[in-house]
Amino acid sequence: MLNFIVAPNSFHLASLEVGHHLYWQIGNLRVHGQVFLVSWFVIGLLVIASLLATRNVQRVPRGIQNLMEYALEYVRELSRNQLGEKDYRPWVPFIGTLFLFIFVSNWSGALIPWKLIKLPEGELAAPTNDINTTVALALLVSLAYFYAGFSKKGLGYFAKYIQPTPILLPIAILEDFTKPLSLSFRLFGNILADELVVAVLVLLVPLFVPLPVMLLGLFTSAIQALVFATLAAAYIHEAIEGHGEEEHAP
Amino acid sequence: MEIFLRLAAGATLLGSEAAEAVGKGGFGVNFDILETNLINIAVVIAVVVYLGRKFLGKILGDRTAAIETQIKEAEQRKQSAASALASQQQKLAQAQAEAAKIRASAEEGAKSARAAILVKAEQDVTRMRETAVQELGSEQERVINELRQRIALMAMQRAEGELPDRLNDDLQKRLVDRSIALLGGGS
Repeated sequence: MLNFIVAPNSFHLASLEVGHHLYWQIGNLRVHGQVFLVSWFVIGLLVIASLLATRNVQRVPRGIQNLMEYALEYVRELSRNQLGEKDYRPWVPFIGTLFLFIFVSNWSGALIPWKLIKLPEGELAAPTNDINTTVALALLVSLAYFYAGFSKKGLGYFAKYIQPTPILLPIAILEDFTKPLSLSFRLFGNILADELVVAVLVLLVPLFVPLPVMLLGLFTSAIQALVFATLAAAYIHEAIEGHGEEEHAP
Repeated sequence: MEIFLRLAAGATLLGSEAAEAVGKGGFGVNFDILETNLINIAVVIAVVVYLGRKFLGKILGDRTAAIETQIKEAEQRKQSAASALASQQQKLAQAQAEAAKIRASAEEGAKSARAAILVKAEQDVTRMRETAVQELGSEQERVINELRQRIALMAMQRAEGELPDRLNDDLQKRLVDRSIALLGGGS
């Protein structure tokens, strides 16, 4: 337990807590309730937006239908760039879900004044600033690319591990662990760091000085969502293509 | 990960304890404007809405316009295709009518040609028959003539052959006399 006294002023300004969570007990599991609350909020937001966009589909898209179609086009373009014209279609929902969930999570953490709501313990923030969320997402990506590789090549997928030379086998195996690790830590670290920097700056100078950092945080949040989705697509592509076929590819 | 980082700006024990007491109580609402960072978030939202509306509005407007023009173009293409189809169908109908006409006239021509050919063939047959009959008659006549000449010739030869044996002066004299008598009787 570390206690920092930032400024020995005589009046109370603000306090910042990390590592305090709203614990819920479900069976033997202790889950972080605040992450669930904001995740549900984000999921609800996305579902409502999707429903609104598809409720009254017009031939010439307007308003929210136009916006959501634009988002879909963006996601489709992203996965097509990574996966190629032939294989991209089945993976658009997965990659699009990852992108939209992470993007809306990050931005909701930055744009919605969650601190208005006081919890018994911990505080509401972006779900992606909790390592459990990002690890779950990264493990989903791992599952997805293993599934993609096995469904495409069967047991021949293992040939990829010794494809250029069997000497690289340990590194190839290690890659399967470093991929979810780097994915989860990159996202978690960026979002948590951004929120911490903003919180510390708000503590030091409450008004206007944190603004550039907050805007930068919005930018990095969007970039992180893009990076996560792009890397997920790239890993799936790698599992589908393999080393052998890349040489024959035009 | 039990890092507990507490940046407390206020050292007033009373205040922090009071805040803690409120915080531990359960769900609630925090109206401290500075602590909740409300002003900064409002400014950020305003900036995002201001910039985003311009940016997104332009993109979405372009998208709608592009889709509209595409739909319009597609409809125009559809219309032109439909009109082309109609005109081609008309042409097809015309061509079919033309074909039927040509076919009918061709059949008529074929019928008349058949009749003409039949008549001509019949005429040919009769003419050929006639010429054959004619040729047969003339050939018969020629053969009969030839036979006659040949028989006459053979008779003469035979007569000339037998003549030296049978003819003597007396007989010759009688014959000449008879001939002269014949000549005299004829005049």
